[in-house]
Amino acid sequence: MQYKLTYIFLLGLILLSSYTVAQNNENTDLKLFTSTTNFEAGKMVVLKFSTSQAIKPLLYCANSYGSTIVSPSLKNNILQYVIPKNMTQKIGVVNWEIIEDTISVTGKFNINPKAEVAVMETYIGPPSIEAGGTDYTMLVVIPTDALDNPIAENTIVNAKHQFLASEKTEAISTKNLIAYKNVYSQKTSGRILMASECLNTNSKEFTVHVTPAVPTDFTITARQSHQYADGNQVTTFITSVLKDKHNNVVSDGTFVTFFITNTNGDILKTSGTTINGVATSKMIHPDHEEQWHIKAYVTGMAESNTIILNYKQVILDFDVVFSKNNRDITIGHLQSFLNQTIPDGLQVKLSIYKNNKRIESYTKTSREGFVHFNLKHHVFKNATYKIIIKTAGLEKIYKSKTLW
Amino acid sequence: MVNGNKNILRSVLILSYIILIGGVIYGISAVFSYLNTGADRSKMLHTEIKKVDQYVPKLMWESLSNEGRPMDTQTLKALENDYLDAWYVKQVAYKTNITEGLKDYYTDNARKNLYDFIDLNTNTGITIESTTLEHHPKVEFFSEDGQQAVITDHNVIEYKRVFKAEKLVLETTEVATYKIVFLLEDGFWRIRHLVKERVENYKDKKDLILTKNLKIKGINYYPRATPWDMFGETFSKDTIANDFKIIKEAGLNSVRIFVQYEDFGKANVDKTKLEKLKQTLDVAKANNLKVVITLFDFYGDYSVLDWTLNQRHAETIVSNLKNHPALLAWDIKNEPDLDFESRHKELVIAWLDKMIDLVKSVDDKHPVTIGWSNTISASILKEKVDFVSFHYYEDLDVLEKKVENLKLETPNKLIAITEFGLSSYKGLWNPFGNNKESQANYHKKAQGIFNDNDISFMSWTLYDFMQIPKEVVGRLPWRKRAQEYFGFIDQNGETKPAFKYISKP
Repeated sequence: MQYKLTYIFLLGLILLSSYTVAQNNENTDLKLFTSTTNFEAGKMVVLKFSTSQAIKPLLYCANSYGSTIVSPSLKNNILQYVIPKNMTQKIGVVNWEIIEDTISVTGKFNINPKAEVAVMETYIGPPSIEAGGTDYTMLVVIPTDALDNPIAENTIVNAKHQFLASEKTEAISTKNLIAYKNVYSQKTSGRILMASECLNTNSKEFTVHVTPAVPTDFTITARQSHQYADGNQVTTFITSVLKDKHNNVVSDGTFVTFFITNTNGDILKTSGTTINGVATSKMIHPDHEEQWHIKAYVTGMAESNTIILNYKQVILDFDVVFSKNNRDITIGHLQSFLNQTIPDGLQVKLSIYKNNKRIESYTKTSREGFVHFNLKHHVFKNATYKIIIKTAGLEKIYKSKTLW
Repeated sequence: MVNGNKNILRSVLILSYIILIGGVIYGISAVFSYLNTGADRSKMLHTEIKKVDQYVPKLMWESLSNEGRPMDTQTLKALENDYLDAWYVKQVAYKTNITEGLKDYYTDNARKNLYDFIDLNTNTGITIESTTLEHHPKVEFFSEDGQQAVITDHNVIEYKRVFKAEKLVLETTEVATYKIVFLLEDGFWRIRHLVKERVENYKDKKDLILTKNLKIKGINYYPRATPWDMFGETFSKDTIANDFKIIKEAGLNSVRIFVQYEDFGKANVDKTKLEKLKQTLDVAKANNLKVVITLFDFYGDYSVLDWTLNQRHAETIVSNLKNHPALLAWDIKNEPDLDFESRHKELVIAWLDKMIDLVKSVDDKHPVTIGWSNTISASILKEKVDFVSFHYYEDLDVLEKKVENLKLETPNKLIAITEFGLSSYKGLWNPFGNNKESQANYHKKAQGIFNDNDISFMSWTLYDFMQIPKEVVGRLPWRKRAQEYFGFIDQNGETKPAFKYISKP
């Protein structure tokens, strides 16, 4: 490793120093005698010319970012052009030209980065990847010297990362002003910590989250306090622990939807999100005998088995009492499976028909086991009506009730 | 007497009352109607497109084979836009030494370098007018998260005019290669690092087309009813076909027509106008005539930051017509030497120089010329044009001498007089002008000289025009009148005596 570094460094030096630039100074008495064409960034650059005439032509020079004009100083037949500091601090080629009509003196020199790193400008993205070994994140490092120049091509950057028990260091080299490395996920979810080092300067710590992959199929169960269709208790649906194909528990918050299909084919829907891989969701019991088929989905990713729940009828029959000219209807006493008064809230629906045409229907919920309806004079004129009362899936029909 | 005075007083009073009341009512109604105008509903959502082409150098991406994430065309387009804008704001910044706009296209650290330059140049009184004419970028790297990119922009042609104390000290064209690191910040692709890797001096391409054997006997053409508005609403293929038939039958072999820069849509060339231009060439082909197309008519800006727009304009027109069999040559600009005074000679010449390079890079088959307004300017850029052309409205007696001198300066090149003629206007504004007979004599004499010296020519013009737009010769009536009577055919469609000498003495 050490040899390789040294070798690359030496080779770089040889290449750099062998880079010379042709000068074009014919027909002139201006002779450049600054022979160096490679300078380290930040070092002062002075172009010196010998001249026999007392002319002081301007010098045009341009670097990566801009161009300017430099005025000379003339001392003992030597013209000196001090290249501005902001130009000598930035790497790249600087081309120059003496501005004088009769002569053409042009040239260029290179400003090279310092062989040190001051800042490890590091970018990592995407910040979270999927477990499984196919997804990856990319570490991009732009090591710069103290003057904010990207360092030389082919400088070694050590990309280090730690995941669970493994710690790895890999050498990458700068190319196109940057160095980059793809870091792949492994089969387990967790965090990858990353850092990089170049010429003994280390970066900060960076974190990439390895999130579990999409869930695989799962099972569901139901938990209920009794099997009666009392319209009051709730049934809880629970998934098994949702895992991806690499056995990682899926991320908290994975959305699970439970689809409940009843005897009529109607669909009820309830949903929950996972915590530690388990999603739960609840549904109130039906108020009449039912058979539910329940299946859960993580939309587009996974589904569960189907479970079946049967709910037993709690109210087998109910009393209806007509009073006050048949205009007062009292339903009850509604009793549940232990003969207890059914908890408040059971729906009772009353429909009134005249000549087989429904003219009105009312829905009320039970209170202390009873439901009262009052048929008002101004709505229902004295006549004969058909009355249907429905509750808990049961139905009672009074074909002709006369109101007066 | 007293009665009369009273009546005058009365009428003055009544009149001033009426005027006053009228004024007040007008004022109130103006305020009322102003208050009743609401915001225009169509402007509520600000859906109008505000983007204006400002900087459109030729840019060709190398095929995509970058490291990292595969580059998609949408991102590439966004990168390209921001990259060119970065160049544009930089050029503007160095021209004015103001930092406006740099923030959007350079990151905090990168823009510091530009600010340093602006400080330096402000203190030393240096301004730089510059533009880039060509970019050949290649995407080197695009990061996985799409937030960083590196490109190498090969052989960027940079043209610079460097001023010190508002005096031009250097004009230079360089070909440079840059490596650029971009970061995506706030939706902008901002330049983080910019490194010039190579730079060379620009070398002209000098592939000239031989024109020695070309023989042009032509005429400048505008339709009679719509001079200087040939491709407008009233464009008629039949009219042009008719006129071209007359021209061909008169023994001529070519026409010179004009493409106006603004009229043709500047950098975004109007497709319908281009189609009309193409149809004109089709008609010329049908009549066995060749066409010299003069570009950039009525253009006079030349400012360096306008160049990329000019070049896109020329590129579109040239590339669309370069394969047309009726095309004879490209005349880059009509009488550019008239702009020397107002726009600086060096700038105009540099503009022409680069424009010739561009036209030649698109079309290497057809010769290129510049229609100079006189013989003195005609030798400018003689190395670059394929044939030398100038306009001649001066004394015919010295023409032979002038052409001879020009021939000595530019041997082996065709010399063409692409405009000459005489107005037959004699009237109120010029009572001592030439009549139709002297016009005929002028053309007879000119044709004699052309014949003896084997000079290619294109006369001005086929028709006497009824209306001359003010952009052509200004508003002065004596100029306008004179311009109306240069034709071989008068306003009634009758041939004038000069018509006899339209193609031969």
